[in-house]
Amino acid sequence: MIAAATAAGAPRVSAIRSFIRGRRRRPWYDWYSIAFVVVLAVVLLSDLLAQPFSRLAGSGGSAPAQAVAGAALVIGSAAGLLALAQAFGPLALSPADACWLLLTPLDRRAVLRRPAAVTAAVSAVAGAALGVLGLAMAGPYLRPGPVTHPVPWTWLVLAAVGGAGFLVAAMLAEVLAQPWPRWRAQMRLAGAVIGAVAVVGAVTGERWTGVSRAVTARFAGLSTGTFGLIAAVAAAAACLGAVLVRRMLPRFPAGVVRADSVRAGTTLLAAAFLNVPLLTWMAEDSHWRGRLLTSRPWPRGAAFAPRLFPAFVLAWADWRRLARRPAVLTALAVSTLAPALAGAAFTGHAHGWTMAAVLLAGAIAAGTQGTAATRRDANDPTLRRLLGVDAGTALAARAVLPALLGAAWLTLALALLVLTGELPGRPLDGWLWPLSGLAAGAGAAAAALRIARSAPINPTDQGPDTPISAPPWLVTRAGSVLLGLAGAYPTLRAVRAGQVHGSTFAAQLAFSAVVLGGYLVLALRSAPSR
Amino acid sequence: MRVAYGSFVVLEDVDLTVADGEVVAATGVNGAGKSTLLSCLAGLHRPVAGTVAVFGSPPRDDAAFWRAVALVADQPTWYPGLTVREHLELVRRTHEPVSGWCLGADELIDTFGLAVRADAVPLDLSSGQRQRLSLAAALARPSRLLLLDEPEQSLDPGFRQELAGLLVEYTGHGGTVVMATHDLDFAAAAGARRLLLADGRVAAPGLTGPGLTGPGLTGPGLTGPGLAGPNP
Repeated sequence: MIAAATAAGAPRVSAIRSFIRGRRRRPWYDWYSIAFVVVLAVVLLSDLLAQPFSRLAGSGGSAPAQAVAGAALVIGSAAGLLALAQAFGPLALSPADACWLLLTPLDRRAVLRRPAAVTAAVSAVAGAALGVLGLAMAGPYLRPGPVTHPVPWTWLVLAAVGGAGFLVAAMLAEVLAQPWPRWRAQMRLAGAVIGAVAVVGAVTGERWTGVSRAVTARFAGLSTGTFGLIAAVAAAAACLGAVLVRRMLPRFPAGVVRADSVRAGTTLLAAAFLNVPLLTWMAEDSHWRGRLLTSRPWPRGAAFAPRLFPAFVLAWADWRRLARRPAVLTALAVSTLAPALAGAAFTGHAHGWTMAAVLLAGAIAAGTQGTAATRRDANDPTLRRLLGVDAGTALAARAVLPALLGAAWLTLALALLVLTGELPGRPLDGWLWPLSGLAAGAGAAAAALRIARSAPINPTDQGPDTPISAPPWLVTRAGSVLLGLAGAYPTLRAVRAGQVHGSTFAAQLAFSAVVLGGYLVLALRSAPSR
Repeated sequence: MRVAYGSFVVLEDVDLTVADGEVVAATGVNGAGKSTLLSCLAGLHRPVAGTVAVFGSPPRDDAAFWRAVALVADQPTWYPGLTVREHLELVRRTHEPVSGWCLGADELIDTFGLAVRADAVPLDLSSGQRQRLSLAAALARPSRLLLLDEPEQSLDPGFRQELAGLLVEYTGHGGTVVMATHDLDFAAAAGARRLLLADGRVAAPGLTGPGLTGPGLTGPGLTGPGLAGPNP
């Protein structure tokens, strides 16, 4: 029985939470998992950030282009964090709390205060880290005083306060916009624009050293006063956001929090198990819900190819979906700059397996944008059965779009690497790079199709218990990536070496044909009805 | 026929023959085995003993089978970014050249009361409207056998009667319907022969009542329509 109650008769939220906490048993392995994830994150992040942070001491110096790319990457990361937060609400309760505490007489502000505080606290920590990281990126070009390095503690504190203030303010603005779909869309658009500008700026700085030198020269002009002003503005914006959110909490719409909380819970569970199909499925549904479209006729031509026509029409569903999502196509086009940016920010050159991995990931991601309907049918074949289309011809017809998307993405990304001078661009090589990318699209499409047709992940399926075993779902996902690697191997190998030949193109054609063709045949043999 | 999920027997000693042009309505309490019966006819579940034949041969999960058989069970997952009208037209277009009775997209949209939502994505429909769309999709293409699992779900009483009329029209053009239902009035309006299942067994084969007509059960095993007909 819950003893504490308000004068009006509604129990206090703290008493309810304490009641739940007192009866909830967390198994020891829950705590073990949390501790393991925290330790792993600290180890990985400290290793990743050690080099950039060393620039604060004046060591680990970088070229102007690398400093500009790094600073752009920090801005892009902040935009990415805001986009990620939108996927979780950003104001959300646990799914159970959303079901049992929200639609009750409990004080709404008291119910939502804790998630709001957690959102602000996480944003503050992430923002502070990004602020210091941004300072570190500009490190070698800062002139903090007569003795140039290391950067003084005052600057570090001000950068942390500034970063935290801006990210908290932006996150709280997202909370304020949460109940209004139009505002949410505009916040999302703003984040995408900032991210895109950062990427384009970084690549521009990489291509034209004049630009990056001008930017790094501005770094040298920064003073303690400037930092102080920036930090003060950021802190004031965060405080204003906090006041507005506090005033809004008592009348925050329950329906919005409930829907977002359920989605956040599912997203978290899906993300924990790398359940990409479920994540993309949720994003897809959320995009189409509430949209009114104009119905368009389907292609005609059954008389010309009566056997192939049904499969062709079925595959056309993905073409139509993509045509209705110009933002996805735009994002894909912009993301072709990512390899050039990755080269500039991390490795400083376009060779090596890091660059090859970025190219492979991009090509597979582009291909998966053409497999939405395949994913639906793999998960639920009801509609395909109703359509009565032969599974083999359907899968072959559906391979065309991901192959074209992967090919177009690789062609553009490799052409940009040649244009920015990161890959050798002698007259013949300049053409051979994008040509090889064009041929590699089909190989990457095999991976995209395999991902789309993968069975939904069962988190309880842990597989055999051996010292070196991995969960089956992880093996499945890794298998798809390996398939893509095999399909695009000649091109990726050439990127790693920084050299391309005519034989690369020929080999790529053969690899793509064998891998995609082989995958289609084996896929139909193993599961003819899917 | 005997059907089991692991050690749990769902159907036992079920023996049913359905003639061309007939409507059979399997009824019974929740868990009686109605959906499993449909699942066996669709070839999605194999009996542990006995045989199932649809159009003279065991059901196969391939294109030829699904061109002859339309199954409406749980609501399907709709294709992202396609409207209600486009889904209906897609179903028809994948069956071109159309040979056999079916209704056009425009007619279906009017008949199923979806005109005002024709340009919406199915996600935005109410559950009843989505059920209407599922049923409309099954009638947007020619077929010889309709398998319907509780088609009356989420439908208002008035439309249930209209749906019963459509099923009568379907069988009038040579089609056969096997459905699971809890609505006896709906089954009667569709002119169905009632098959009462209880605890996985046929409790009352070939029940007839007002509007419930048709022959009783004959022959061994579970047999679908068109015994003498060629496999589609």
